[in-house]
Amino acid sequence: MLKELKLPVLRNRQLPVLAGIILIMIVVLSFMSPNFFKIQNFNNILLKIGIFIIIASAANLIMITGNLDLSVGAVFAFSGILHAYMSKHGVPIAFSIGITCLLAMCWGLLNGVLVGKLKIVPVIATLGTLYIAEGIAFLIARADGGSNIMLGLPGNYTSFGRYMVFGKIPIIIVFVVIAFFLFLFIERKTSLGRFSYAVGANRSAAELSGVNVTKIIMILYVLCSLMAGFCGVLQSSRVGLAAPNVGRMLELYVLIVCVMGGTRMAGGSGTVIGVLLGAIIIGLLENGLNLLGVGHFAQEVGRGVVLIIAVMVQKNSRAVRS
Amino acid sequence: MEDAFIQVRDLVKEFPGVKALKGVSFDIRKGSIHCVVGENGAGKSTFIKILTGAYTKSSGMITLDGEVFEPKSIRDAMNRGISVLYQELNVVDDLTTEENLSLGQEKSTLGFIRKNENTQKVMETIWGMDQTIKLHMPVYSLSVAQKQVIEIAKAINSECSVLVMDEPTASLSEDEVRRLFINIKKLKSKGITIIFISHKLSEIFEIGDYVTVFRDGHMVGDREVRELRASCGSVPESCVELVRMMIGKVVQEEYVPSKVDYSKKVLEVRHLSNRRLSDISFDLYRGEILGFYGLVGAGKTEIGRVLFGIDPYDGEIWVNGDKQTKKGVRSALKNGVAMIPEERRSDGIFSMLSIRENIPMMNIKTVLSKGLISYPKERKVADRFIQKMSIAARDREQSVVFLSGGNQQKVVIAKCLNRESDIILMDEPTRGVDVGAKEEIHNIIRSLSKEGKSVIVFSSELPEVIHLCDRIVLMHEGRIGEIMENRKDIDSDHIMQVIAGGN
Repeated sequence: MLKELKLPVLRNRQLPVLAGIILIMIVVLSFMSPNFFKIQNFNNILLKIGIFIIIASAANLIMITGNLDLSVGAVFAFSGILHAYMSKHGVPIAFSIGITCLLAMCWGLLNGVLVGKLKIVPVIATLGTLYIAEGIAFLIARADGGSNIMLGLPGNYTSFGRYMVFGKIPIIIVFVVIAFFLFLFIERKTSLGRFSYAVGANRSAAELSGVNVTKIIMILYVLCSLMAGFCGVLQSSRVGLAAPNVGRMLELYVLIVCVMGGTRMAGGSGTVIGVLLGAIIIGLLENGLNLLGVGHFAQEVGRGVVLIIAVMVQKNSRAVRS
Repeated sequence: MEDAFIQVRDLVKEFPGVKALKGVSFDIRKGSIHCVVGENGAGKSTFIKILTGAYTKSSGMITLDGEVFEPKSIRDAMNRGISVLYQELNVVDDLTTEENLSLGQEKSTLGFIRKNENTQKVMETIWGMDQTIKLHMPVYSLSVAQKQVIEIAKAINSECSVLVMDEPTASLSEDEVRRLFINIKKLKSKGITIIFISHKLSEIFEIGDYVTVFRDGHMVGDREVRELRASCGSVPESCVELVRMMIGKVVQEEYVPSKVDYSKKVLEVRHLSNRRLSDISFDLYRGEILGFYGLVGAGKTEIGRVLFGIDPYDGEIWVNGDKQTKKGVRSALKNGVAMIPEERRSDGIFSMLSIRENIPMMNIKTVLSKGLISYPKERKVADRFIQKMSIAARDREQSVVFLSGGNQQKVVIAKCLNRESDIILMDEPTRGVDVGAKEEIHNIIRSLSKEGKSVIVFSSELPEVIHLCDRIVLMHEGRIGEIMENRKDIDSDHIMQVIAGGN
């Protein structure tokens, strides 16, 4: 099976380009900053982009169908707040995680119904969900009596997010690996994955082939919200607080990671391997600029420029398997 | 001709691999209503696109009012006085009539739009055609006919001398068609030359002055409508004359009867009607190849769409003795009905995906093992069909977009056959494929019937249905004209009469 999962990579001309960019960045940054090539630094980068990778793996499949999920940031924030609120008010942590994930999936269901069934444009539908979910996150925080939830959390609140597997691997990295392989598996081995490509490549042909397009879209939105919700819990548990505005711009990061990874916004092609590489590029870029002492605002400018260049480079090496 | 307003001489248009126009010459007189007819692929839309500047010609010449006419763009053609009324109307639904009229010609002062004096003039033209349209009406509240009026008025006011109308009556009611014709006659009296494209032949006799028939990239007939009618006596007969020109000489091809099991009725259709169809009834037997034949717009595709659960209908459909109650594509597939759609690109292939990924799409179960996609199984399925249908591809991983039309069509058929349905609907199975692939597809259809499957072929090519089908259903404007048995000496003249609406 491993061989089967590996095979299509060789055919994709975009992925080597991305890998090349990463390699160049690593070499250049190693020369430019003495603090770059250190395990601790790589660890930091991974922690930073871990959330993006997990959520983008799921959002990527939605983009492959030609749709979009802008609500991930809000669902992320909502879930963090909800988990913190419940934990603070006596719900056992494990229970709270479970309930939060279930409720997060409801946001996905809402997106799925709006986009898949009612055929509302994804940008608008998920933007609506974004506002609702974020609004409720603020209301929960307010009900708790503050602008965020930090004080009064139980002592073991952070033990999930800060757990080290085998005593040295941060748990979030384990989840990144799990998410990566889970979505690689969905993409390559399940009919859900296959149909996602079909819907994005030609929705009408998919429908006429008997593919239940609505169902596919709904499942993917639920899956994506589940990932966003789970990450919200993970993040809140790691930092030991929850704020209703932490998810702002996250949806755009996720989008950028997918696009950088070579996923067509119109749908039909893309892979979670690209997502992983795209996220690494974003992570390296940010880290490198930090190490070089570039100020925050200048970084924003740099990020924009790199995004545009990356997409242009890919456009020219667009991998259509010919 | 001295009074020729537009002269077309040896016009050729070549696309990579195809010659769409193979040297066409004819004249269009000033102030006449000139009809252009022809079946799909005859070259009439290519001609129109060259005339309106959307395509550039490969060779030949067009003169307009005595001057050489070589439009570089649609705008260029418009400036020379050629306007088009497309089938898809160019109005913006969310704007009002007034805003639509000034669209693209807004005059502004410091960025604020000023009232356009021109609008008043166009409005007067509109009122000359339809008094019910008001300036401040949002366009989405208007009917298709009213939107047409707006577009016609815009064209007139841009001082066009030639107005090309591409199937203007396709989505109009009878009443609206009559009003449109009155307006067209008014335009004619103003000296505007009308080029009128329609598939409804009776309309040509009602409104046309001249008719040019295209077939297979050639101009095969150029007649005065009055003369045509005089020589035939009545409208249906003259239509038959036109149909003969459009279809040409039918080469009798060898028809080999299939082994039809007339004791097993697999499909029974009774009194099927919807917006485009009226009272369609027919049967299909096991192992039979049934053909539906008629001109473009006769309702063939619509029948396929109904049987495959896409369009709504009144009436009854029985599959293998069970009355169909559920609608939708998936339930049709479940009941053993599969379809190869007419539009291969938009409805058939997943062009970005590989052949291997395309083929199992209608029946993913054939490549699953324990619920997961098995690559060995997938390869086997793909290779089997590539071999069986001799699909010419580099390998099974090639994206379908890079295949030729014929091979793409074979992939679509393979996808459908992999479904193992008992009833297979094929809408224009060989459109746009080369001769070799056509023969191969015909052989595939015959072998399906040998396997005991029933096939319905919807085709606008007479040789194809005569070549393949055991019985032929002749369609005319949404109705069945006649259902005839195929035999070696089938009377193609009679067929043309029926599809032209005669008796």
